[in-house]
Amino acid sequence: MGSFFDLVVGTVTQGLIYALLSLGVYITYRILDFPDLTVDGSFPLGAAVAAVLLTRGVSPYLTLIVAMAVGALAGLVTGVIHVKLGVRDLLAGIITMTGLFSINLQIAGSNLAVDRATDTIFTAAPTMALFGAMPLIYRKLVVSLILAVVFKLILDAYFSTQSGLLLRAVGDNSTLVTTLAKDKGSVKILGLVISNTLVALSGAVVCHEQRAFNSTMGTGQVVFGLATVIIGTTLFKNLGFVKGTTAVIIGSILYKACIQVAISLGLPANLLKLITAVLFLIILVLGNRRKSGVNANA
Amino acid sequence: MMKKIIAVAVILAIFATFAAGCGSKKVPVIGISQYGEHASLDNCREGFIQGLKDAGLAEGKDFTIDYQNAGFDDDIATQIAQTFSANNVAIMVGIATPAATACFAAAEDKDIPVVFTAITDPVKAKLDKGNITGTSDKLPVDAQLDLIRKIQPEAKTIGIIYTTSEPNSVSAIAEYEEKAPQYGFAIESIGVTQQSEVTLAVDTLLSKGVDCFSNLTDNNVVGVLPSILEKTNEAKVPVYGSEVEQVKIGCVAAAGIDYIALGIQTGKMAAKILKGEATAENMPYETITEFNYYINSAALAEMGLEVPAEIAEKAIESGQ
Repeated sequence: MGSFFDLVVGTVTQGLIYALLSLGVYITYRILDFPDLTVDGSFPLGAAVAAVLLTRGVSPYLTLIVAMAVGALAGLVTGVIHVKLGVRDLLAGIITMTGLFSINLQIAGSNLAVDRATDTIFTAAPTMALFGAMPLIYRKLVVSLILAVVFKLILDAYFSTQSGLLLRAVGDNSTLVTTLAKDKGSVKILGLVISNTLVALSGAVVCHEQRAFNSTMGTGQVVFGLATVIIGTTLFKNLGFVKGTTAVIIGSILYKACIQVAISLGLPANLLKLITAVLFLIILVLGNRRKSGVNANA
Repeated sequence: MMKKIIAVAVILAIFATFAAGCGSKKVPVIGISQYGEHASLDNCREGFIQGLKDAGLAEGKDFTIDYQNAGFDDDIATQIAQTFSANNVAIMVGIATPAATACFAAAEDKDIPVVFTAITDPVKAKLDKGNITGTSDKLPVDAQLDLIRKIQPEAKTIGIIYTTSEPNSVSAIAEYEEKAPQYGFAIESIGVTQQSEVTLAVDTLLSKGVDCFSNLTDNNVVGVLPSILEKTNEAKVPVYGSEVEQVKIGCVAAAGIDYIALGIQTGKMAAKILKGEATAENMPYETITEFNYYINSAALAEMGLEVPAEIAEKAIESGQ
């Protein structure tokens, strides 16, 4: 196949890997109505943990699980700061994010690269046994797709459990949760834990894919996450059969596609972000066109 | 219904635009991914193209350049590298570590040779093995310490600010600390995590009474050099740069690598790959060792400093 196809494969792969982060942001921002800035710290946290474990020869699959556990801990910290210590939501996230910058460097030492001879989830034996016949870029696509779809399905299933319904209620109508005699604080903490678990997983997969941890890789990821959630949910809000989680994954792919278009057009770097912004605007305006006008929540 | 059609059309249009940059050309394309807009990195790139031409290759006939700049964004560097890989460029060039890392990752299964430049420690960055080669820009620390000693014979402490997360800076600090005593200096260093902390660190070092500052090639520090110089000029403490661009801005002097020369050397290596004379796999990376003295006479005069004749005759006047 031609180069165009490769480019689409590469772009969609990036979109799927970062979709894990978007799913995390979807839980806090869209469901819990909690603007969680922990993401800028928990994303590189996942990568730092994965990088250190990979360089120590730990099984690549295990590195993802450990990264998720550590990410969960980061979410727990933000939750406890907010709920138990009464710090405002934005500030609680900022505190954890700031602290994580140092913790990430403590974990990884400094920016850390993973040798090409080290197996990642894309090259380890079990992956090769299943998809070894494919070239690496397709294998990366398939593995990322599996991760995104599996976690989407788990989330969908979770949202229809009692705990998941409570989570949604806290964001929509928190008084209801109190009348049900449930503690909305612990529900919020749970939401933050699940969210940052996914964000750290995304960071860990990026580390596997790039074979590197960079301490500044978290910068701007909250903004990315928010943009993808808004793009996805706005675009599909009239299509009832598309679940929010699916919309968010597509939002993430579209975001990466916008950047790819800007790159492919050969635009100067200084204009790249502007073009990306214009593309977002077009998508949002198209998605928002309905009689009631602009939805202030979008 | 109309809306759905529009939505689908937009999505299709986005993907269709990809095709724009993907024509199959007969002239080999060299994809250059530069991590960000930065005078030294720009010099590397210009030198690189010069090096290709010096090796007898003509732009447009023997090669074309696809230049992309990531604006210091790792995620964009990743996508740029993927674009190069998808377009099956002949060689990917990564200028600065994150850009080179992204190129090497994108080239993993296609066996596209990667050539890097402006990387201080290719071994630590794990860019030393595989279908990859390039040039390393290790700071000439000995020459810099010697230069400072000759310009300021009485100086005792050198202040250095560095970013704790930049491996290049961390290894340079270690080398400074190891070598400073040989020249009779003590190093007073402050590590920062982000750019906004740099000016605070300058104040701290000034209050500790350092005799001068010496810069590394640390992006956070170099990025706010004008505001550093504002403070140090007021305090009459000279700042030594690490390359010519910093001296142009107002550092008194530098023993620095010539990034154009580094780029030219890299370009010649790429030319060998393009001509089929060598492969990136079997060509070890090269560390540039030559350096130049750069001086800014106006800045020196303002500090009341003089450059000894032995250095002045070799130095390149870089002041405005």
